[in-house]
Amino acid sequence: MPQVSLVDVASYLPGDPVPTDYFTQFSRSERMAKNVMFRSPTGRHHIGRDETAVDMAEQAFGVLRERHGADLAAEIDIIITHTQLPDNPVLGAGPELARRLGARPSQVLDVHNSGCAAFVQMMAMARMMMATSEAKTALIVAAQNCAGPVFTQPDIRKLAQAPVPGDGCGIGLLRRDDSGPILDIETRTYPEFAGDMDFSTNGPRKYWEPGEGQGCVSFSESKITKVFARGNRLVPEVALEVCKRIGVKSSDIDTFVTNQPNRLFLRNWHDALELPAERHPDTFDQCGNLFAAGIPVTLDAENRAGRLRNGSVVLLSAFAHAGDFAGAAAIRWGAAR
Amino acid sequence: MTTSALPALSDIPEEVPGVIRIENSDRETTTPIIMDMLRSVYPHDQIFGDYCPVQTYIAAPPREVYEYLADTRSLEEWTYSLRGFTETEEPGLWLSYDRLGDATKCFTRTVAHPDAMTVDYHCAWDQSEHLWMIYLMRVVDAQVVFNKPGSVVTWVNCKHPFYDENGYPETAPPKRPVWVGDFWEMFSAGHQLELDNLKAICEYRAANGLPIKPEWMQ
Repeated sequence: MPQVSLVDVASYLPGDPVPTDYFTQFSRSERMAKNVMFRSPTGRHHIGRDETAVDMAEQAFGVLRERHGADLAAEIDIIITHTQLPDNPVLGAGPELARRLGARPSQVLDVHNSGCAAFVQMMAMARMMMATSEAKTALIVAAQNCAGPVFTQPDIRKLAQAPVPGDGCGIGLLRRDDSGPILDIETRTYPEFAGDMDFSTNGPRKYWEPGEGQGCVSFSESKITKVFARGNRLVPEVALEVCKRIGVKSSDIDTFVTNQPNRLFLRNWHDALELPAERHPDTFDQCGNLFAAGIPVTLDAENRAGRLRNGSVVLLSAFAHAGDFAGAAAIRWGAAR
Repeated sequence: MTTSALPALSDIPEEVPGVIRIENSDRETTTPIIMDMLRSVYPHDQIFGDYCPVQTYIAAPPREVYEYLADTRSLEEWTYSLRGFTETEEPGLWLSYDRLGDATKCFTRTVAHPDAMTVDYHCAWDQSEHLWMIYLMRVVDAQVVFNKPGSVVTWVNCKHPFYDENGYPETAPPKRPVWVGDFWEMFSAGHQLELDNLKAICEYRAANGLPIKPEWMQ
C-alpha cells in the first residue's frame, strides 16, 4: 500500500457557544436541573437554522485553503463526507461541497455507517482508494449538525441528554506522501450490535410523514448500560490492536484522541490505555459531544495550540452508534503548527 | 404518606447517609451514579484489596464437585502447594505442609454444609489453636445460574489482619524466610491458578467417566 499521510486538519464551530442555562430552564425538576448542570458540557455550539453541513465544511476548508494555497481545491481527487443529519435525506453532501469548493474529484462518497468513528473510517477508505487509483489527494469531512435542530425541539430539550451534543465540522487533508504517515488503521464492524439505536418521532408517524411528534435518536432504557459497557470495551480494544501492530506500548502514545460522548468514557478510555488524562485531550467542555466531528475538531484545537509535535505518535479511536462499528488509526504526526 | 407496606427504616429518624433508595434518588438521578461506577479497567487493589474473590465454571456435576471439595484431602490435589495431609488426633483437623514456606505446617478444618453446598476451609500456618485463614467456597448448580449443566464455584478470601502480621510469631519455625501474607498481592492470580487446577481435574474425571471424588478418598 502506498504511504498516505494526514497532512492537515481544520475545523469550524457554528455560532456563539450556547450555555447550559439554555437547557436547565426546561428541566422538569430542580434536581434534574442540578444534574444537568453537573454532567453537561459548559458550552456547545448549535448550527443555525438555515446553516447546512456543506456551509460548515466550506468554512473549515477556507482554513486549509489559506494554509495550502488557492489551488488546493483543484488538487483534490477524492472527497468523502459524513453528515450526521443529512440536509437532504436522499443525497449526500459531497457533490454540493465539491461544487462550492471548485473541486473536480474523480470520486465523491458520502458515508453513513460509521457514526462517531467516521473520521477513522474515512481515513481508511481514502487510503484504500489511493492505493488502487491515481488519486493523490483526498479531503475527508465529518459534519455533526444534529445538536441545534434535534436537541432543541420543545419536547427533546427537556431531556437530560439534550445539553450534551454540540455541532461542528472537522476536516482532514490526506496526501500520498510520507509527511505525516498513517502508520496503521483498524476498523471493525459488530453486526450483533446493529439495530440497538433508534430514530423515532416519539409518535406513530414515520419521520417523512406529516404530523405530530419530534424526531430524535435514542437508545431504549434497557440498552443504555449495555451500550456503555460496550463503549468501555470497544474503543480500547481497537486502539490496543493498532498499538500492538505498530509496536508501541499504549502508555507510550503521545496523544490519544477519541470521540467524546461523555466524561466517563473519556476517563475510562485513557485509564484503559494507561495514559494520563493530559495525553487524552478533548473539547467536551467547550463543544459537547461532537459525534464524528469530535476527533478532527479536537485534533485541530490541539494542533493550533501547538501541542502536537511532529514525529509524535497520535492515536485516534472511536466507536459508533450502539457499538456496531469501531475504528482506530495511528499517525506519525507531521502537521505541527 | 408512604408507598411501602412495610415499616422500612422506621426505627431511624433521619435519612441514613450513603443509602440510595428509590425514595430519595429516582432513576434519573441514580443512573448517572451507577454509570460513574462502571469502568474500562479497575485498579487491582480496588478489586482485590481486602477481599480476594475468584470464580469459575466447571463442566462436572455440582453435587459431586461439592462432595469432592468437602473432603479436606481434595486440597492435596488441586492446591498449588499444600501437601502431605494427615488427620491429627483432633477429629476433623488435618495437618499438611505448605511448600511455599520451608517446612511450614498448615492446619485445616473443613466446615461444609451440604444443603447450601458451601465449603469453608478454616486454616492457619504453624498452629491449630486459631484457624484464622478462612477460604469461603460455594458450589452452585450451573443449570440454575447459566441454564446449562455443570457447576459454578465461587471462592472468597478476606484479608485477616494476620496476613499483614503473624499473630503467632512464636509458633513459626526459626528463620523461615517467608510469611503467608507476603503473597497477598498474588492471591488473586494464585487462587485463580488453583481454581483452574480444580476445574481441570474435575472436568478430566467427568469427561472420562471417573468419579469426581476419587476412590482413594472414599
